[in-house]
Amino acid sequence: MNTFFIGIILLLVGGIIAGLFSDRFKIIVLSVFTAIASVLSLTPAVKVLFGGETLVQTLNFNKLFGAVNFVIDPLAAFFIVVICLMSTLAVIYSKGYLKPYMEKGKDIRAHLIFLPVLIGSMLSVVTCQNAFMFLICWEIMSLSSFFLVIFENEKKEVRRAGIKYLVFMHISVIFIMIAFALMSISAGSFDFNTFASVIQNNKHLSNIIFALLFIGFGTKAGFVPFHNWLPDGHPAAPSHVSAVMSGVMIKTGIYGILRTLTFIGTPSKAVSFAVLFVALVTALYGVLYAITQEDVKRMLAYSSIENIGIIGLCMSVGMLGLSYNNNAVAVLGFAACILHILNHSIFKELLFLAAGSVYTKTHTRNMEVLGGLIKSMPATAIMFLAGSVAICGLPPFNGFISEFLVYFGMIKGLSIHHFSSVIVFLFAIAGLAFVGTMAVLCFTKAYSIIFLGMKRTEAAEKVQSDVDKSMLIPMGILASLTLIIGVMPQFIFGAVLKPVSLLTSIENVYAPTAIMWSISVFALLFVVVLSVLILLKLKLTKGRIELHETWGCGYNSGNNRMQYSASSYVSPFLSMLKPLFKKVFDVEKPRKLFPHSAHFSLHIEDIEEAYVINPLLKSDEWFLSKFEALQSGNIQSYIKYGLIFLVVVIIGSLFVG
Amino acid sequence: MILKLVNLIILLFVPFLMAGLIKKTKSFWGGRKGPSIMQPFYDFVKLMKKDFVISKTTSAVFRIAPLVTFTSVLFAAMFVPLASGSALVNVSAGLIVFAYTLSLGKFAALISAMDTGSSFEGMGASREACFTSIVEPAFFMLIASIMAITGNFTFDSLQNILASAGSYGILITIFAVVVLFIMVLIEGSRVPVDDPATHLELTMIHEVMILDNSGSDLALFTWANGIKMLLISSLIAYMIIPQDINEWIGVLLYLAVMAVISVLIGTVESGMARIRMSHVFEFIFVMSSLALVVLALVIARMFGG
Repeated sequence: MNTFFIGIILLLVGGIIAGLFSDRFKIIVLSVFTAIASVLSLTPAVKVLFGGETLVQTLNFNKLFGAVNFVIDPLAAFFIVVICLMSTLAVIYSKGYLKPYMEKGKDIRAHLIFLPVLIGSMLSVVTCQNAFMFLICWEIMSLSSFFLVIFENEKKEVRRAGIKYLVFMHISVIFIMIAFALMSISAGSFDFNTFASVIQNNKHLSNIIFALLFIGFGTKAGFVPFHNWLPDGHPAAPSHVSAVMSGVMIKTGIYGILRTLTFIGTPSKAVSFAVLFVALVTALYGVLYAITQEDVKRMLAYSSIENIGIIGLCMSVGMLGLSYNNNAVAVLGFAACILHILNHSIFKELLFLAAGSVYTKTHTRNMEVLGGLIKSMPATAIMFLAGSVAICGLPPFNGFISEFLVYFGMIKGLSIHHFSSVIVFLFAIAGLAFVGTMAVLCFTKAYSIIFLGMKRTEAAEKVQSDVDKSMLIPMGILASLTLIIGVMPQFIFGAVLKPVSLLTSIENVYAPTAIMWSISVFALLFVVVLSVLILLKLKLTKGRIELHETWGCGYNSGNNRMQYSASSYVSPFLSMLKPLFKKVFDVEKPRKLFPHSAHFSLHIEDIEEAYVINPLLKSDEWFLSKFEALQSGNIQSYIKYGLIFLVVVIIGSLFVG
Repeated sequence: MILKLVNLIILLFVPFLMAGLIKKTKSFWGGRKGPSIMQPFYDFVKLMKKDFVISKTTSAVFRIAPLVTFTSVLFAAMFVPLASGSALVNVSAGLIVFAYTLSLGKFAALISAMDTGSSFEGMGASREACFTSIVEPAFFMLIASIMAITGNFTFDSLQNILASAGSYGILITIFAVVVLFIMVLIEGSRVPVDDPATHLELTMIHEVMILDNSGSDLALFTWANGIKMLLISSLIAYMIIPQDINEWIGVLLYLAVMAVISVLIGTVESGMARIRMSHVFEFIFVMSSLALVVLALVIARMFGG
């Protein structure tokens, strides 16, 4: 356990030391520190995950918060593994990504301090078992990520996105605070251990607390309708930061909900159904809007919402298994949940990094102006393809494993002979299938518009070479992980067993080993057969290929502007689901005989933003403007306010105390 | 062992016969003699021997995609019960592996179409992706409903439905067969969703996606599509062929069912025109609603006293 703390300290020190070096070495130094810190923190976590005892370390903060327990139990250990692995790769990647900024003379020292602070705070969030200390770490995590998001703070939309993120985080933390306060008052202590005994007997209280914490942590995770910060926050941040945020940080929200589940014991059926409903809506909403996006990072942000929905769905299947007392369903649900957390962090980080590489080379995030990049950036194109296939949940990649497990859980759930559960599971199966096929639509679009076909504009044409090795290597590691987990799921499953047994409180977890083995053999055979066929084809068709223009049905001068665009690719689909989108057209029709200008653009707005958030903001602005008079800019009056406040507090404390 | 070999031969060869039979049926209704039933197979052999003409715009994706699609269809076939006996790999939730493996093939076909940079192929890909997204949920719902009522989570549940659901079983079977038949039409890109007879119409879906493929690439795509049709038809056959009969009679019955399905497809194609593109959704929603009817029947049977 000591090595874990040394790791965190090394991270914090590393950020400061890295700032002292010259630009060329800054990130190398930081990468070394992060890598060492990760290894140090990983060692105890891996031990716990594969059979070790739960580690506990009590730090005494005497008067301040008393004794604080830091615990590495299997659940925390699993998250530590994910955090360490993903953060290290992102830091290594940032060397190439930040280089152009440094060459322009941007000062990145603050960025280099906050990056390890974010990693360290995430590590403490998942281990800390004291409500008060947890909130402090949680807040440090939110703030440090806020500073990372506003890296390009000279841009207005970045500042706007950053502030939106900050506001969302602070609204959400209020819910967490209330829930923790309720529990600590009834338990008489801030320690998580004492919470369980208090609320497990009180069904009413436990439901309220679960709802509060679900909103609080769900905002961080991005459950609809609390998701609105994600699609703005991710595009604004630099790619390695979006990768860490989307791959790891939003999962701390899921961690929070899972931890809550350990307090409340067996969840009630109503709560489980509610979670399932919210999760399914989240998944559908996320992928629907992912389809409509033209900004690649916004698209990835929406797809994170979708995947959080899938993770939530897995979790709710597990919860339903617990409430109906069906061990197999519970185990499959939670195993899928934990595995999908790992899988999503791998392929989402991979996709964000690949999108970042494209941005580095083309300076645009708009897919519509790209195209044909597979020829100038072949390595990045392969990585993005691996990520896309994995995120669609297709075999033989890792996304398939977790999706298979949750389907399997739901199908097994059909044997629970209850009216509501059968109906809900049937619709959830169809819903998840719908999400899966829409993901295929979304990622075939993204991949083919960015990397395939002809180069659409100059932005794509000017790209000469692929990105640096320091950017390709982290992506390569992630891409091979997607394949390795997909081909050998039975070994990864071992790492999931202990967290699952903690969540389900089942001693000997039933593992679907036979099915995992058959999937493994199946995937391996698939890969082998496909590779043999490809090699055969290369050999047999050598010299038998003639190159020509694309067949245009007799029309021979097709050009790059005649290709299908991203919005035309999805338009039949969107026309089917018209009412779910708010379309904003910007049209200038050609007029007169010799028209000077004409343009057409279509922007699809998030309905929640258009119909809920914006009206709320407007009324809020109206309300707050009533108090404008208070801000006089006069220092004397501010001192007066302070004085009044103090007097009120003193009088108040006299009456209450 | 011999039966497995027979299954493999049927899997690889019958798709050509089905395509030939459909053409023969259409010729019959059109009052023509029509090409030999083996013609699709001769075409295939001829295409396999040909060289390639490939667009300059394309990349490696275009060249590898036909192999991915073909392999994925073959691997998906391992999870489906064919002419005799259960599926080669008869695991619980094999449905998921089957559907997702097919999706992988579709993914490859979609990006390979987009790789040519042609607006025609983009259009085809866009429609194909869009239609699949509605077909698949209905398919999952149908099979999962049947699994719920039989309590068997492999494709064997299709065979048990008549035995385990009594009088409801007949109704469920009828509706399920109709749903699966519509799915054959959609996935096999037949009229009224798609028209495989013409290449150069803006109404095409699957055919236009493979406009730029030539030689063995084209042959593989066509073969894969035929096999996919056979796989879904096999599910129909598995539902209606009785369980306790001699294996070889089972094989014969299976082939008979395939022939009936082909003739039906040919008749549908001769009897009706392709639906207008904007109305195809409505046709696909018919399939979804019928799947919902099956779900309702299952629920009624399970909890309806």
